[in-house]
Amino acid sequence: MRRLVRSRAYARTRAVTGALFIALGAAIVVRTLLMLGLDLREIPALVLGAALIVLGLLRVRDYATLRRTVR
Amino acid sequence: MTTARTAAQARPQQPTLRRAVTAWGSFSWGYSDVGADIFVGLGLVLGAAAGASNIAFLFAGIVYVCIGLAYTELAATYPVAGGGQYFVFRGLGDIFGFIAGWAVLLDFTIDIVLFAWSCIDYLSKLPVLPFLAYTSHPWTHFLVVFALIVWLAGLNIWGVRESSAFNELVSALDVVSETAILFFGFLFAFHPDLLVHTMTAAWPNTFNLMNGVSLAIISFVGLESISQAAQETQRPASIIPRTSISLILTILIFALSYSNLSLGMQPWHPIPPDAHGHQQMLWHFLGNEENNGAAVAVLASYVPYWGAFAALYVPVLGAILLLISSNSGVFGSSRIAYAMSRTQLLPSIFQRVSPTRRTPVVSIAAFCGVAVVELIFAALPSLSPGMHHLYARLFRGEDGITFLGDLYAFGAATSYSFVFIALIALRFNDAQSPRRFKMPINIPLTYRGRPAEFPVVAVIGFIGIASILVFTMITHEIGRIAGPSWIILGLVGYLVYRHRKGLPVFRSQRHDWRKAQVRILQEAGELELMDEYLRNVKAAEPPSATQRGLER
Repeated sequence: MRRLVRSRAYARTRAVTGALFIALGAAIVVRTLLMLGLDLREIPALVLGAALIVLGLLRVRDYATLRRTVR
Repeated sequence: MTTARTAAQARPQQPTLRRAVTAWGSFSWGYSDVGADIFVGLGLVLGAAAGASNIAFLFAGIVYVCIGLAYTELAATYPVAGGGQYFVFRGLGDIFGFIAGWAVLLDFTIDIVLFAWSCIDYLSKLPVLPFLAYTSHPWTHFLVVFALIVWLAGLNIWGVRESSAFNELVSALDVVSETAILFFGFLFAFHPDLLVHTMTAAWPNTFNLMNGVSLAIISFVGLESISQAAQETQRPASIIPRTSISLILTILIFALSYSNLSLGMQPWHPIPPDAHGHQQMLWHFLGNEENNGAAVAVLASYVPYWGAFAALYVPVLGAILLLISSNSGVFGSSRIAYAMSRTQLLPSIFQRVSPTRRTPVVSIAAFCGVAVVELIFAALPSLSPGMHHLYARLFRGEDGITFLGDLYAFGAATSYSFVFIALIALRFNDAQSPRRFKMPINIPLTYRGRPAEFPVVAVIGFIGIASILVFTMITHEIGRIAGPSWIILGLVGYLVYRHRKGLPVFRSQRHDWRKAQVRILQEAGELELMDEYLRNVKAAEPPSATQRGLER
């Protein structure tokens, strides 16, 4: 397990899933806003979307830092 | 500076925990503790908050993010295993350190029972081993949970802990599994219009919403593990913030996703009618007394395509994760009691270590004993019809798992409230300690002629957790009595112990925090931070005072 999480493939997978999280988060935010407009009931979905985007950004940032360090 | 480092390094070394936990290890340590909470919390919250369950999780989730940020800052600044108890002890003094530690001990003992209880509930949902369904009988359930607690106590006295590699494997499997369940659920069965309809049609009254929020916080308890991991993490000041923020977001995403899915999912196959023959919605089915202890496994089995497979493994995976969490309650309670005893907040008997096994045998036995008493209180209404009527009259018929949830929420809200206050106090009293991570949104100001920063998010978090504490006291009859009773009982014991020992009762003993901080950073391998700390101390005080402090 430890060897796996130190590998380059794992780092790349994290970056790809990070990008997917960003896309999914953005889709949730846009779809919710389009469907409900401005409504208090949509707050949980908006927070969920925002949390996915932040998690994705963190993963992508980690990968970028790793690449800079390796270079 | 080199002299200071050499002086610090020259002190005689005591045996300490090996720092072998990596970034992934630190994440999985926290995940195996906090990640298990949603397995218990989902059904309870759906049962209480109905159509507003996602709002309840959202409110508790926002408070949890604030708590998580506070723990991240404190654990990266003070990487020691004591967790909330240590932070409060250091920031607010002995008596508040005791109260926070005592509340954490309540949580750890509840942790043992609640997760062992839920572990059996999950196993009883395994379709391939139908004989396990017999564990749902009240007496069998009680005896199996009791046996599990005794077994865990025995293992911990013997000195066996689950291995870090096993934790990492289970956490990885669970993250993949939960992602798959949510992916298939949202992709093939989620209907936003059904979610909106459920939120409108099944919106609870204010009392039930407060009840739901107070139960939702139990899905986010276990942040002590962040600081416990900090003691054994390599370069904690840089690794802890990275892994903690990922952990906080992952848990928040799972909690919000599960609650929204439960309210807005069209089940793959029909849901059986309730006891009166009425049709049930999915959220209602998951939150009823029969399923609220194993809601994630039941939900997983109703997910399209993946559900048939998930029904086979989610009960086992959930049970393993819950067992690890229950074990962390046994381990954590003994460790906190040991640490409190060493700082003379608890009698020295809790420091007693088995000469052969080198484990804190008295602490383990004492707090597992408390857990058994809590189990009896939780199981009584289901074991005896007379007690069922009594509970119905006195406590509005709360069932066993809700009783445990009440106390869990009470203990967590109490200790977290103190942690926020301690964080604010430490920002002013210990501004010299380098903080690699700080909670966002700070107001710079001057305190006693020195620059300091006031953490706005800590105040927001404190208001949030204090309101959850108030909700718990308003909505839970048992929590309202048993929670404060636990604190008062402990406080009386503390006052008697300190008085008999001739120690300050309401005031704190003298502590050399500067020396302690140098040792903490040195043991963590954070030598740059240690140098920075010494520079800050030197800059803040007259040179002669600093020199005296270092020589001492």
